[in-house]
Amino acid sequence: MAAVPTVASPWVPRGMALLLAVMATLPLWVASIGLYQYLGVEIAIWMIYGLGFNLLLGYSGLPSFGHGAFFGVGAYAFGLFQAWAFESLLLGMALAAVAAFVAGAVVGCFLSHRRGIYFALMTIAFGQVFWFVAIKWHTVTGGEDGLLNIPRPALELGAASVPLNSNVALFYFVLFVLAVVAVALWRLVHSPFGKVLQAIRQNEERARFVGYNVWLFKWAVFALSAAIAGLAGSLFSMAQQSAYPDVMSLHASGVIVMMTLIGGGFVSFWGPVIGVAVYFLARDVLGAVTETWLLWFGLVFVLAVLFRPEGIAGAWQEYVGSVPSAGRRNRGTEAPASHIER
Amino acid sequence: MANLFPHLLNGLSLGLLFALIALGFMLIVGVMELINLAHGSLFALGAYFALVIIAPDPAWLGPLGESYHALPLAARYALALLVAPVLVGVVGMGLELCMRRTYGKKAEYGLLLTFGAALVLEETIRVLWGPSEQYLQVPRSISGAFLFAGLIYSKYKLFAALFAAAAIALVWLFLERTPYGAIIKAGAHDSEMVRALGIDLTRLRLLVFGLGAGLAGLAGIVLTPIWGLRPHVGVDAVIPAFLIIVLGGIGSFWGAVLGGILVGVAVGLTGAYASGWSLLSMYLLLIVVVTVRARGLFGRKSVLEA
Repeated sequence: MAAVPTVASPWVPRGMALLLAVMATLPLWVASIGLYQYLGVEIAIWMIYGLGFNLLLGYSGLPSFGHGAFFGVGAYAFGLFQAWAFESLLLGMALAAVAAFVAGAVVGCFLSHRRGIYFALMTIAFGQVFWFVAIKWHTVTGGEDGLLNIPRPALELGAASVPLNSNVALFYFVLFVLAVVAVALWRLVHSPFGKVLQAIRQNEERARFVGYNVWLFKWAVFALSAAIAGLAGSLFSMAQQSAYPDVMSLHASGVIVMMTLIGGGFVSFWGPVIGVAVYFLARDVLGAVTETWLLWFGLVFVLAVLFRPEGIAGAWQEYVGSVPSAGRRNRGTEAPASHIER
Repeated sequence: MANLFPHLLNGLSLGLLFALIALGFMLIVGVMELINLAHGSLFALGAYFALVIIAPDPAWLGPLGESYHALPLAARYALALLVAPVLVGVVGMGLELCMRRTYGKKAEYGLLLTFGAALVLEETIRVLWGPSEQYLQVPRSISGAFLFAGLIYSKYKLFAALFAAAAIALVWLFLERTPYGAIIKAGAHDSEMVRALGIDLTRLRLLVFGLGAGLAGLAGIVLTPIWGLRPHVGVDAVIPAFLIIVLGGIGSFWGAVLGGILVGVAVGLTGAYASGWSLLSMYLLLIVVVTVRARGLFGRKSVLEA
C-alpha cells in the first residue's frame, strides 16, 4: 500500500471550514427565513449519513440500495441501550456504531465478491431482511410503531453536564459530530486506502492484478460505511426520540442514493452534503406549496441521471473549470466522472 | 402432514402468481441487461388502469356512460384484462425511450433511472387516484369460496393461479414457437450478432420493454384483488420479482418460473408454522441459494457481472 502516491491535502480544506462556519450560524437565522431549528438537526444528521454512504457509491462505485438498514440498526441499538442498560450519550452512540459495523461486516461477507447490478440486488435483499425483522420482532423493536420515548441523554464532559433537550443544543452537538466525521472521512479518502477504493471503482480487475486484496477493501469500506450510517441513526433516534422501521424501507434507502447522486457524489466529496441540503429544503419549501413535491423531486432526479449524472457539484466544477485560472492545470481535458478530487 | 396440504397448495398458487410478476422482469433483464425497478410501479399502474376501465367516471363517456355501465361486470373485467396491459405497455415504451441515453454507460445508471421512474409513477398514481386503498371489482362468478375435500378455497385465488399458468404458457409459446421469440432470445444471447444479421435492435428493445411492462400490468390486475390496491403496492411486487430473477438465474425463462414457484411454496409453507414471518423466507431462500450458486439456479455468465 505504501507504493500508492498520495496527494498532499490540508486537514481541513477551505470548503469544509466554510460549510461548518455557515452551519454554526444556522440557529441564529433559520427562524427568520420561515424555517425551524429542528430542520438543522435533521440536515446535519443526514449529511453524516450521506458522507458515509458516498464512500460506497462515489468512491468505491458500489451502489447500495439497502443502506437504510444500518441507519436503522444504529437507531434501534441506541434506543435499546438507553432502555435496557442505562442512559448514556456517548456509550449509546458508540454501541450504535459498533452494532451497525457488525451488521455491515456480516452482510459484507456475502456481498464483497460481487459488483455492479448483482451487488445492488443483494443489498436490496439484505436491506429488506433488516426492515422485515424490525417490523416483525415486536418484543424488541416494537413492531411498526417502533421504540418510543427514547431519551436525549445529557453530554457529560467531566464535571460539566450539557443537556441536549433543546433542538439548538442538539444541533450543535450533531454539528460537532459532523465536523469530526467530515475531517476523518476527508483524511480517509486522501489516504492510500481511499486511493485503492477509487482504483477499485475505476477497474476492479486491474486493482486486483496490481496486487490489492479487492475483497478485503470492499468488505472494509462496506462495514465502515455501515458504522457511519449507524452513528447517524443513533443521532436520528435521539432527534426523533423514537426509532421506527420506516428509515429501513427500500424507499428510505433509495432516498439517500438520490440525495448523493443529485448533489454530485460521483465527482465530489461534497456531493452528498449538497444533495442532503437540497433534498430537505425542497421538502420544506416545495412541500409547503404543493403536496406532490416528491413527484417533482423524482422528476428532477430522473433528469439528473439522464443529463447530469455528475450532479450539482459536477455542474459547479464545470462552471469553475470553464473560468481560466492559473492554479488549475488541464482540468478541462479530464473525463468529468473519472475521479474524485475535491 | 395432511394439514400441510392446503398451505402447499396456497404456496403453489402464490408461486405461479410470483412467476407471472417475474416474467416481464425477466424479459427485460434478459434482452437489455437492465434491472427495471419501475416494474412494481407498472404493476400498480396496470391495476389502476383496470380500475378505470371497469368503473369509469360516467362523466367521461358522456351519453355512452350509462350503456357502458349496464354491461355485465364480467365483460368490463375481461376488457380491462385486455386493454390495461396494452396501455401499461405503451407507458413502458415511453420509459424505454427515456432509457436510451443510459445505454452504453454503467449498468448502475439504468438502475438509478428506473428507481427515479418508479418514484415518479408512484407519485403520479397518488395524484390521480388518491393515497387511499381501493378495491378492484371482480365478477361474481370468480369471487366467493368453494368447498373441496372438506376445506374452503377462495375461487378467485384459483382463477388467478390458473390465469397465471395460462399466461406463463402463452409467453413460453411466444418465446419458443414464434420467430419474434427467436429474435428476442437471440438478442438476449448475443445482441451484436443479432444486429449483424440485420435486425433492428432499437425496435426490438422498445418492443421487449413494452411487452415486459405489459406483463407487469397484467400481473397487477390479477394480483391486486388479493393484495389490495394502494399507490405503493408496487414495492410488494418488484421485490419478489427481482428476488426470483436472481434466484432463478438472470435471463432464464424456466429459472423465473421455478424460482417463482419455489418462493411461493417457501412462503406458503413457512406460513403454516409462523404466519407473520412467512415473507422473510424468500429473502433467506435467496441468500442461501445465491451463496451456494452465485448465478442462481439456471444462470449463465452475464454481462451484468462486469
